Amino acid sequence: MKIQFIKSILNSAFFLKALFVVSIFMLLYISSVSYKHTKALNESSDLLVHSYKIQYQLEHVLSMLKDAETGQRGFIITRNPVFLKPYKSVEDQIYASFIKIKALTIVDQQQQANLDSLLKLIYARLDLMELSLESIRKNTVTESQLNENLLAGKTVMDKIRNQINKMEDLEISYFNEHQKKYEREVIFSPVSTFIFAIFSLLVFILAFIKINKDLSVLRKSNTELMITNESIQHAEVIGEFYISQWNLVTGELTYSDNLYRLLGCEPQSFKPSIENFLKFVHPEDEAIGRDAADNILIHGKTYPHYYRIIRTDGELRYFMSTGKFISDDKSKMHIGIGKDITDYHLSNVALEERNHELEQSIKELESFNRVASHDLQEPLRKIQTFISRITDNDKVNLSEQGKEYISRIDSSAHKMRILIDDLLLFSRTNKAEKIFEKTDLNIVLENANQELAHDIEEKNAVIQSVQLPILNVIAFQIQQLFVNLIGNALKYSKPDVAPIIKIECEKLAARDYPDFITDTRKKYFKISISDNGMGFDQQYAEKIFILFHRLHHTTEYVGTGIGLSICKKIAENHNGFIVAEGKPGIGASFFVYLPV
Amino acid sequence: MPKNPIHILLADDDEDDRLFFKEAFQEIKINTSVKMVNDGVELMNHLAQDNIQLPHILFLDLNMPRKNGIDCLLEIKQLAHLKDIAIAIYSTSSSEKDIEATFIQGANVYIKKPSDFNTLKKILEQVITVNWQYQTSGLNRDNYLLSL
Repeated sequence: MKIQFIKSILNSAFFLKALFVVSIFMLLYISSVSYKHTKALNESSDLLVHSYKIQYQLEHVLSMLKDAETGQRGFIITRNPVFLKPYKSVEDQIYASFIKIKALTIVDQQQQANLDSLLKLIYARLDLMELSLESIRKNTVTESQLNENLLAGKTVMDKIRNQINKMEDLEISYFNEHQKKYEREVIFSPVSTFIFAIFSLLVFILAFIKINKDLSVLRKSNTELMITNESIQHAEVIGEFYISQWNLVTGELTYSDNLYRLLGCEPQSFKPSIENFLKFVHPEDEAIGRDAADNILIHGKTYPHYYRIIRTDGELRYFMSTGKFISDDKSKMHIGIGKDITDYHLSNVALEERNHELEQSIKELESFNRVASHDLQEPLRKIQTFISRITDNDKVNLSEQGKEYISRIDSSAHKMRILIDDLLLFSRTNKAEKIFEKTDLNIVLENANQELAHDIEEKNAVIQSVQLPILNVIAFQIQQLFVNLIGNALKYSKPDVAPIIKIECEKLAARDYPDFITDTRKKYFKISISDNGMGFDQQYAEKIFILFHRLHHTTEYVGTGIGLSICKKIAENHNGFIVAEGKPGIGASFFVYLPV
Repeated sequence: MPKNPIHILLADDDEDDRLFFKEAFQEIKINTSVKMVNDGVELMNHLAQDNIQLPHILFLDLNMPRKNGIDCLLEIKQLAHLKDIAIAIYSTSSSEKDIEATFIQGANVYIKKPSDFNTLKKILEQVITVNWQYQTSGLNRDNYLLSL
């Protein structure tokens, strides 16, 4: 949690900006400190140079004076005027140095004062020197007088030295004072500057890493965006659709390139606007487009709408548009999507026509059904009733041949009735409402047996059944299935053997599924109805389920060839299967697979 | 005969069926008076007359020209003086749709026209011997379709 929080702070743009501001201030601080530092250093060096210059000039003055003194002494001892040579130029040189020092110390009152007193002393010394020399030149000098003069000269010279030392000390004290002040000011600067510099450096490194990271993320998203954009453009072309973006606040509208292509124009060849778009809409559908736009803009409603477009090449196309609102605090956008649905529309129209035709033929079939159920039955019923009237009343009056014919007519009429009834049953199995209900198959089987009670009794048949499950089925159809299959077993029993009909049931394990069950996720019950009757050749196992397909001649067994077709239909209605197995002379088995 | 006859009315457009119907009642040993009309319009006109003997049981064919049986049934059940007549639907059709519709509209019994004269006699005999006034309360969907 905490680490996450810190990470999120470190990653936030605000934190980075704050850090930047801090480091900029630090850099400013470092610059100002450095500037101050440099300036102070410059000042020190200037001051040093200045003080050296003064010292140099002062030493120069002293040295001049010493030269003059040395010359004077030489002259005094040797009386050779050549010693006086340095002395002659000394005054000018001293004055030149003096001027220089004066200029260097122009702002320093104390040094100026010192300089003035120095000058006075120098002149005093030079005057004394002149006095001694004059007296020697004139040979008026006495030993004691000379001695006195020289002594006085030494005293003045000492004063000069003192004065010069004083001035030099003053300059040194200036420098020291400056140095102290400077040190006081910049004592912290090297450490703090270093720390700040490191800190700034760290910030910049951090920023660099972050920016680099952001940049790579940005680059990646940019690439993704490009790919997405590209995909959308391709998708638009392939899928024949376009995208529009309508900023409902500014009214700015953009159309994707494919809109223009779908209209048969060059991309972006006209300014995106509702009016410009409506120019392509079929005049009869213009109101649809206008309403849709008004609803978006005024009522904030968007819905799929269909309209026709007349392309620039004059071709009529069918379009469908719909959209979605996207809004945030600042803006409200409508993202629209439009699609050329011409192919779909045309195939739909064709399909509708086919559907209509189908409905028509279904209606025809239904009326055919009506004919079969009502109109065919009616005359048949009357034939049968009239036959029953003849056999009841006039039998005695008929010849044997007549009786035989009447009996054959009756039998034919009976067959026709069964055929009509079975046909009706088959069509009803096809058509009837499929209401699935939880049904106890034991009760259904019991009902079926009751329906067949007469035949079972007649044939002395034994029906053995195990406990059947409760399944979600169309009860009357399953009953019909049992009636047909058990009825079949009774019908095709061996003439001299009492039929034994076994009804068994098991829940199938997936590994036992026969090949025709492809959906292995469903669970199936397998209900088998087997008999000990005549059986059939296995090669007919599939054909027996085909409508009107019979294995026996009509004279041998009464049947229509519809019963097993109905069974197959019923199994299919339940998403199940029915298969048959037969062994001639041994028996037949029917297996019904019903999903749970 | 000591008892008053049972008044029976049949509405059926089919001449043969009317013949069977008449002959069946001639052979049944019950005192009946059978009156027959040829279609729905004729039926309603007949029932609209004053001073006629109303039938105890009306046998009503469904498939008739001009006005079919269902429409007649609807009209009869809306008329106060006719709605208590016991009505037996008498039709060739055995479609669930017809059976359902007539049951809902209040018919008492549904007879599918049999294809054997003796069966017809048995059915008619059974229908007219039931006291429908009494039976109405126990009417239910399971024994509505008459089967022998």
